[in-house]
Amino acid sequence: MQVYKAFFKIILKNRIQLMIYLVVFMVLALLLSSSYNPPQDTDFTKVKVNIAFINDDIDSPLVAGLQTYLGENANLVAIPDDTQKLQDALFFRDVEYILRVPVGFTDAMLSGSAVQLEKTTVPDSTSNIYMDLLINKYLNTANTYTTYLPGLSQTDLVAHLQEDLANATEVTMISSGTHSAYAEKSGYYFNYLSYSLFAILILGICSVMLVFNNTDLKRRNLVSPLRSANMNFQMILGNLSFAVITWLVLISASFVMYGSFMFTATGRLLLLNSFVFTLAALSISYLIGNLVKSRGAMSAVANVFALGTSFISGVFVPQALLGDNVLTIASFTPTYWYVKANNEITAAVNFNAASLTSIFTSMIVILGFAVAVLAVTLVLIKQRRLDA
Amino acid sequence: MLINVKNLVKRYGDLIALDHFNLEVQEGEILGLLGPNGSGKTTAINCILSLLKYDKGTIELYDQPMTPDAYDIKRNIGVVMQNVAIFDELTVYENIDYFCGLYISDKHTRKKLVAEAIAFVGLGDFKKFSPKKLSGGLLRRLNIACGIAHKPKLIILDEPTVAVDPQSRNNILEGIMELNRQGATIIYTTHYMEEVEQICSRIAIMDKGKIIAMGTNEELKQMIKSGEHINLELLNPEHLELSEITALPHIISAELTDHQLVVKSGRGKNTLIAILDYLKGRNITIGKIYSEPPTLNDVFLEITGKALRD
Ligand SMILES: Nc1ncnc2c1ncn2[C@@H]1O[C@H](COP(=O)(O)OP(=O)(O)OP(=O)(O)O)[C@@H](O)[C@H]1O
Ligand SMILES: [Mg+2]
Repeated sequence: MQVYKAFFKIILKNRIQLMIYLVVFMVLALLLSSSYNPPQDTDFTKVKVNIAFINDDIDSPLVAGLQTYLGENANLVAIPDDTQKLQDALFFRDVEYILRVPVGFTDAMLSGSAVQLEKTTVPDSTSNIYMDLLINKYLNTANTYTTYLPGLSQTDLVAHLQEDLANATEVTMISSGTHSAYAEKSGYYFNYLSYSLFAILILGICSVMLVFNNTDLKRRNLVSPLRSANMNFQMILGNLSFAVITWLVLISASFVMYGSFMFTATGRLLLLNSFVFTLAALSISYLIGNLVKSRGAMSAVANVFALGTSFISGVFVPQALLGDNVLTIASFTPTYWYVKANNEITAAVNFNAASLTSIFTSMIVILGFAVAVLAVTLVLIKQRRLDA
Repeated sequence: MLINVKNLVKRYGDLIALDHFNLEVQEGEILGLLGPNGSGKTTAINCILSLLKYDKGTIELYDQPMTPDAYDIKRNIGVVMQNVAIFDELTVYENIDYFCGLYISDKHTRKKLVAEAIAFVGLGDFKKFSPKKLSGGLLRRLNIACGIAHKPKLIILDEPTVAVDPQSRNNILEGIMELNRQGATIIYTTHYMEEVEQICSRIAIMDKGKIIAMGTNEELKQMIKSGEHINLELLNPEHLELSEITALPHIISAELTDHQLVVKSGRGKNTLIAILDYLKGRNITIGKIYSEPPTLNDVFLEITGKALRD
């Protein structure tokens, strides 16, 4: 295993350069993925509206009941019954809704005749509708009681109302479940991961291949009894180990940041996808490593290739925002399929046959890239050996 | 026969690097391959090692055709390339261990062999050094250690001592002779005739892709007409007539610069006595006198009409 050992000694010699890339990329990925704020609608809290409640009628239990009910669902703000003060309060948004209970309200309600409450509101405010709903609900429920139980005392009526209206609806977000904020964030993280992974693999593998493909060293190895199959085997094993280690290091941060989420179906699919992508990136890096002739070219290719494919494949800019032409070109790179699969994994609420088929198709395409490029590289190596 | 090369032709485009090159190497000898820059020494070695495709000819090692896949043959060969081939990323020790490990898988044996190789080239103080920190000569010595650590039966060295200082060079040459005494057959390529004269049991002189002369040091010098170079310091050379000297038997040429007379003589007896008699007859007083045997340069000069090194 001389070649395998030498492989890692060369990698270790280049560790500073690789670490710099690793750290920079990790920080970048962390910053970018945490600066992303998921939309508010993933969480439900009732917003309490500020309202003013003014009673021109008698202080009946019915009016008091209404006031209590509204107080439970909105913030009652005490404002003096003065036209100027009320208008100011509206203008400065101290309140968004002013409800005035007219004279004779209680009598009208109890007798079952129509009542009109007066309201003054801030224009175009969504809370108006909510307040209207609340008030109508109270009035309609009261109406139902007075219609069907005409003899009911005012105190009993208010008690019934209180009980009925307290049955608040339990609100559950249909799209919750496993679909937490982590899904989106980890999606971003794993998309960025493709860039760092690609760059590190190209750099690491090229540094090794540059050494082994140096004409003098290559000839020196060729005159030794080391079989070419054995040489290739050790090389591929070295590459594979290096790639897996890089992958493990990169994904380890995702466990730190997203914890147990990484063990959910979404998390596990993201990990699987990134591993499959690692194989393709490795294969491509190995090919590049066998083509590149100098360290300068190596850095250039690492940057251009990793950055370029990431860009057109939607790592930095969502695929939805990229043009069709760009995406068509991008579809000839495994990064495109990787990002596509990532996006599908994080967007899916529940995995069903359709979404899984699409995700796994992308993964198989990525795997196809890995195999095809490796085959090309092995042919190239064989060709070179004969030409030596 | 250990190596048998027949009618090897290698072309680089229009340039014929090897032109019907023939070579036979017997087990146990130290064969020197001597030739000026560009005469095709490295090309010949690379063909023999199956590193280069060639246009014509056959190459056999241990009576088997040499091919890129002849791993059993390769196992017995140690190679020190003209261009230093080592890993900059590995230390001196790790480099020797790497190359030795391509031949010897057993760790304990290898440890011993690597230690011996380090002692052989005198790099004991530099084991942990990065090759980048070695001087040119030390790097050459590392290159040699990497090639011979596994104690191969056949060692091919292509100009291994370039840039090595005279003392280390002597140590290395001594070491190569020791390896030979221990049973290794050696092919030693160089353009330093002193080196081949010092260590080689047989010498092949190359020019323009061909071997133009082959034999032991003595045989080669016997082959040519010129014998000694006689140098005489004359105190009163004005009485000398050069044509009378060249007219003496066995004299090839005579040259006078200031007081120094250089006479190249052919093979024959009493040449010096004849010259001395002539000078005495002319009343020419002699200061110092010494004679040198012919060199391989004379051999090369006589066969090709040009000096081995210009
Ligand atoms: N790769 C190559 N392509 C073209 N010509 C080459 C190549 N390698 C060597 N040559 C030519 O072949 C001839 C023989 O070269 P070679 O290296 O075998 O000489 P050499 O005897 O080893 O010389 P030196 O003492 O300088 O090492 C030279 O004229 C050289 O220019
Ligand atoms: Mg040479």
